Amino acid sequence: MKSPVSRRNHRRFSDLACGIVGAVAASLTLVVLGCIVWDLLRLGLPHLSWLFLTGEVADGGRSGGIGPVLVSTVMIVVIALAVAIPPGVGCALWLSEFVRPGTVPARAITGGVDLLASVPSIVFGLFGMAFFAQVLGLGFSILSGGLTLACMILPLLVRTTLTALQSLPVDLRPSAAALGLTQTTTIRKILLPAALPGILVGVTIGVARSLSETAALIFTSGYATRWPDSPGDSGRALSVHIYDLAMNIPNGAAAASASALVLLLMILVINSFASFLAERWLRRYHS
Amino acid sequence: MLALLSGSVVLLIVWFLVAGALPALRDGYLPRLLFDEHWQPGSARDPQFALMPMLAASVLVTALAALLAAPLGIAGAVFHRFYLPKRLAVWNQRMLELLAGVPSIVFGFWGLTVLVPLINRLHPPGQSLLAAGIVLALMILPTIALTSQSALRSVPESQLLAAAGLGMGRFATVFHIALPSARSGIGSGVLLAIARAVGETMAVVMVCGNIAKFPGSVFDPVRPVTATIALEMGYASSSHKALLYLAGLILVLVTGALTGWLAFGKRNAGEVS
Amino acid sequence: MTSVSSCSSNTSCTCGGLSLSDVSVHYGNFAAIREVSLTIPDCQITALVGPSGCGKSSLLHAMNRLTDLIPGCRVEGSVRDGVGRELTDPSLDVMSLRRRIGMVFQKPNPFPHSIRRNFEIPLREHGVSRSDLPDLMEKSLRDVGLWEEVSSRLDESAMKLSGGQQQRLCIARALALDPEVILFDEPCSALDPLASAVVEEHIAALRGRVTVVIVTHNLAQARRLADHVGVFWMRAGAGTIVEEGPAEVVFASPSDADARYYLSGVRG
Repeated sequence: MKSPVSRRNHRRFSDLACGIVGAVAASLTLVVLGCIVWDLLRLGLPHLSWLFLTGEVADGGRSGGIGPVLVSTVMIVVIALAVAIPPGVGCALWLSEFVRPGTVPARAITGGVDLLASVPSIVFGLFGMAFFAQVLGLGFSILSGGLTLACMILPLLVRTTLTALQSLPVDLRPSAAALGLTQTTTIRKILLPAALPGILVGVTIGVARSLSETAALIFTSGYATRWPDSPGDSGRALSVHIYDLAMNIPNGAAAASASALVLLLMILVINSFASFLAERWLRRYHS
Repeated sequence: MLALLSGSVVLLIVWFLVAGALPALRDGYLPRLLFDEHWQPGSARDPQFALMPMLAASVLVTALAALLAAPLGIAGAVFHRFYLPKRLAVWNQRMLELLAGVPSIVFGFWGLTVLVPLINRLHPPGQSLLAAGIVLALMILPTIALTSQSALRSVPESQLLAAAGLGMGRFATVFHIALPSARSGIGSGVLLAIARAVGETMAVVMVCGNIAKFPGSVFDPVRPVTATIALEMGYASSSHKALLYLAGLILVLVTGALTGWLAFGKRNAGEVS
Repeated sequence: MTSVSSCSSNTSCTCGGLSLSDVSVHYGNFAAIREVSLTIPDCQITALVGPSGCGKSSLLHAMNRLTDLIPGCRVEGSVRDGVGRELTDPSLDVMSLRRRIGMVFQKPNPFPHSIRRNFEIPLREHGVSRSDLPDLMEKSLRDVGLWEEVSSRLDESAMKLSGGQQQRLCIARALALDPEVILFDEPCSALDPLASAVVEEHIAALRGRVTVVIVTHNLAQARRLADHVGVFWMRAGAGTIVEEGPAEVVFASPSDADARYYLSGVRG
């Protein structure tokens, strides 16, 4: 047996070493990721202005602004949400209220939804181009892009809504039934309103994911930088704009950084909103 | 009805991929995917379809990213759980959550404008396996750190108390008690991150160099499967297009298998406890 | 620091008692116990009894500094071991202290590893050589009557054992470190009566080998086990000891009114 003093020193050393390695890892993570934000600020902030946010795209994006791009982006996201919310919420309702979990249909649907969640975004792009743009004849359009994104965020909406419904107090259903309410009334008047904050969290995260997406949009909503007149027009999403500026336009880095800052800020606000909602909602039901 | 719709979207996608890839399979391209030397699917005179370098690139980039990110993420989570005071830990977690939301295009852009020139100074050309690995690692790092944190949080307090009661130091508590206990949670977090890395396109396409050859070193440019699809689906036709669908199908199979494995592991774990 | 060998006979015991004077434990602004003085005699079994929430467990945690782990927890006063060393001294090596003063918790808490690893991890941590492990493990398991039951499955998970077996494993794990004192925090309250009886029997068998401090709600158990008793009661919003002394004296003729009512079953 080693002497207790050397044990003690050995232990102090290993505890300290473990802490130092951990501290280095944790701070390295934050520092490098902080660098990314700092670099974006350094490159993009001088380029940012009100005119940049509202102006037309000029000179391939090097000058002018991102006004039309922002409008297209919002249109794509709105279409994606409008298309994805009804089936997403409906599917979750069906899974939580109408079938018993573990049965074959329930498992098949959950499996399908989970599998859909695992599909890489570039494959959504491939599918969206083939199905919406070519087979359905929508071409490169905001509609095609929105529909493709709808497929992509559908599993997210199903999952969050399902979680929201499942975490409602269990005795809500029997107590509603005891009052003689029909299942439809229970769902419409009691369950959905109660689960609404949870569903909203899901929708918010869906918005963030849609905004972040690039690969699924390049070949569905296209590259056009004009002001879009209708969902049938081609319109470039903000993330696609960053990609194009960085890859295809020489000296596009400043404008790309500024656009990336705008994107980052939007995501930040939306994610903060989502966690704010989630926290409030948790407090309501779990305290 | 709506549920059926939601559940079957994935079938539609897979069906499309299979139908699209069918010409490639029917015309007997499969051996050529393995044995051709070059990737020039659009060439009229001498079309060649060497898919292997791209599959290899996908595997290498993902492995490099996981090797870089997993130790950092897990060590950071240990620090977060066992060393950092509560108030700072909350902030650390908030920062990580924030970073987990940064879009992949932003990572790619940063890689292209900052990281690639740096690597170029070290060893040209800069756009390389290494650059793609680092950018992907940064992208999945917050995910790994956050899932590891929550796995470590779920280690029962009673076990940590037992360790303290036996006079065990932090190092021994972490390595013999906490990490083994949290192993499955940390593992599924890493697996989730790997699935994400395999399917990631934008962060990779901007920094990997896009040359469809087996890399000789980490400084050589590579072209993963996802990048190939993104770069070529705009103009591909006929057999070339069929090959891209095949590549997409392979991607879905791989990520699907990873997800299935995860779900299966979770169900088994659920039955045990 | 020398490791004290456990004594073999009841007569000349040197495992070392504890003496507490004016110990208070605060959680933030809340005082859990106030100014407790208590002498824990060498190699005997001391039972701490009293109603819930009187700070019995807090006092136990203060004795081997597990209170250090609780943010905002403050311990005042003095805790001295058999040779008069101050245990609340911040510069003391807490890990060695916890080796000398072991603890068994209310809920059995074996590590979710094999039975063998449950010994290996703490023993290796305290520098016991690998070749000594099997003997120490066997001896400790025999001490709690578990050797016959588990010797054929030492490499199976400790979580597969029954609750009573798990608790005896935890006692054996603490014993293997050759402690001077073992603190028991209601060790039987999570067990069924049969398992509880077995565990109690093995705690009783520790008399004369190590100093035992046991917190219990079960007055009958305290009567059966204790050589020395401390009775807790609430005074001015905090727990404190209202009666202390040899078991036969305290149980026969307590001087404090609350203690008398409590011990006779009228109150608490």
